[in-house]
Amino acid sequence: MGAQFDITAVFEYFVKLLPFIKISLLIVAGSIVVGLGVGFLVALPRLYRIPVLQRISQVYASFFRGTPILIQLFLFYYGLPELLKTVHIDVSRVPVLYFVILTYGLHSAAYISEGIRAAVTTVDRGQIEAGYAVGMTGFQAFTRIVFPQALAVAIPILGNLIIATLKDTSLAFTLGVMELTAKSQSLGQLSRHFIESYIALAAIYFILSFLLEKVFFALERRLLRHESRSETAERVSLGKKWLKRRLETKVAWTKGGTGI
Amino acid sequence: MIKLSRISKSFGRNEVLKGIDLTVEKGEVVAILGPSGSGKTTLLRCINYLEKPSDGEISIAEFTVNCRKPAKKDIHTLRQKTAMVFQQYNLFRHKTALENVMEGLVVVKKLTKEEARKLSAELLEKVGLGTKLDAYPSQLSGGQQQRVGIARALALNPEVILFDEPTSALDPELVGEVLAVIRKIAKEGITMIIVTHEMGFAQDVANHVVFMDGGVIVEEGSPKVIFQSPKEERTKQFLARITPESAYSI
Ligand SMILES: Nc1ncnc2c1ncn2[C@@H]1O[C@H](COP(=O)(O)OP(=O)(O)O)[C@@H](O)[C@H]1O
Ligand SMILES: [Mg+2]
Repeated sequence: MGAQFDITAVFEYFVKLLPFIKISLLIVAGSIVVGLGVGFLVALPRLYRIPVLQRISQVYASFFRGTPILIQLFLFYYGLPELLKTVHIDVSRVPVLYFVILTYGLHSAAYISEGIRAAVTTVDRGQIEAGYAVGMTGFQAFTRIVFPQALAVAIPILGNLIIATLKDTSLAFTLGVMELTAKSQSLGQLSRHFIESYIALAAIYFILSFLLEKVFFALERRLLRHESRSETAERVSLGKKWLKRRLETKVAWTKGGTGI
Repeated sequence: MIKLSRISKSFGRNEVLKGIDLTVEKGEVVAILGPSGSGKTTLLRCINYLEKPSDGEISIAEFTVNCRKPAKKDIHTLRQKTAMVFQQYNLFRHKTALENVMEGLVVVKKLTKEEARKLSAELLEKVGLGTKLDAYPSQLSGGQQQRVGIARALALNPEVILFDEPTSALDPELVGEVLAVIRKIAKEGITMIIVTHEMGFAQDVANHVVFMDGGVIVEEGSPKVIFQSPKEERTKQFLARITPESAYSI
């Protein structure tokens, strides 16, 4: 198939791919912003047990978690314009990137809403009541007591989601977005050094994921510093807790990557 | 002075409080006794509106709330006049001992951080935790956590402190340190209402004992009268069941 394996090509492609990290990160950032906004709205009816909306939220989460992201991309990119045409809105000039961000955003929202629900319900009712008992308003109790603790639980969930989304952005090439994967394919096609281009691509995804993981781990440790039992036991217990939690989170919230 | 009139509360069809009348004088220490399920916790929680009474009137230091039509502002005022010490401590887990005590002072009483810090450190000193200011709840024993809870309540300088079985979640060897702190602040003339199963403690700290059963006050009076010559059959039975084994534990 391709040309003879050439290690220098790996380095060359690696450097050539670097500028395209921007696009992938832009998709990730955009979709997380959309995901946080929509996820919050989707979580509310279930937190407050609002009858009909609660069902809708559940269906929403099931749909986005239960169907492949690739199908969702196609549905939104090809289906949404058709749907909007029936109400006389023309979106044929809207750049592909917007559809991609919208799809990944709505997809993330399903996971984020579950995460928010999990995070908020981990703060026990007793602490909220203690807040009321010292004279706080509902808003003060939420912002001062619930939110900071919920955040500590939400951060690792969000971290996993961001890393998963980063890997999923590789599917955007199917719609012709020039991100990392698409660029790597075109580099391979030009020179016939396919393997080299994929090795460089894998290295970039790996490094990005690795860095993100480090950042989120540090953040989580900081936010959870109140849960350490003693100075000396801190390292071990936090590490163990983290591992255990990661496993739980994996089972509950993570999707195992793209899975076309 | 605190005056509860005709306080009733139902959960669905279960009528838990059946028109409670209770008057507590300023500086009085009231012990509420009674079997489990008699409505003691619910009564305390009605006083600071963690539970909404179905009917009745709550009056604390000239401030009266009609439970049929309370304004949101009134509930807030009521909560500022009361403080509560919980069975499960309910400390803010993401805050240190010092920050737990400061929280209400800064957020609700609007003291500056400096003032709040100074006052909170003094109070923690008073409950014997002067060396634990920067410890998080997860680093403290149950007894220490409960003492932080007491300091947090004291800080608000409330008209009354409500204690709901403050020692019943503690290991037996930690009960003493918490009771000692409560005893100490009782001597300072702070009004307190304490739900407890510690009969010995109730007997020598309270100046007013209330026996509840089935959502009503069966009998009340001085500790001497209630413990030594109760009139009602139900009180006698309860005390007979609870006291003989040991005056200090249940
Ligand atoms: N939130 C609630 N919802 C329904 N029933 C409750 C609730 N809280 C208490 N009860 C019921 O009210 C009764 C009195 O409870 P409680 O005030 O906790 O009693 P005590 O503190 O004397 O043990 C019990 O029968 C209990 O089941
Ligand atoms: Mg109780």
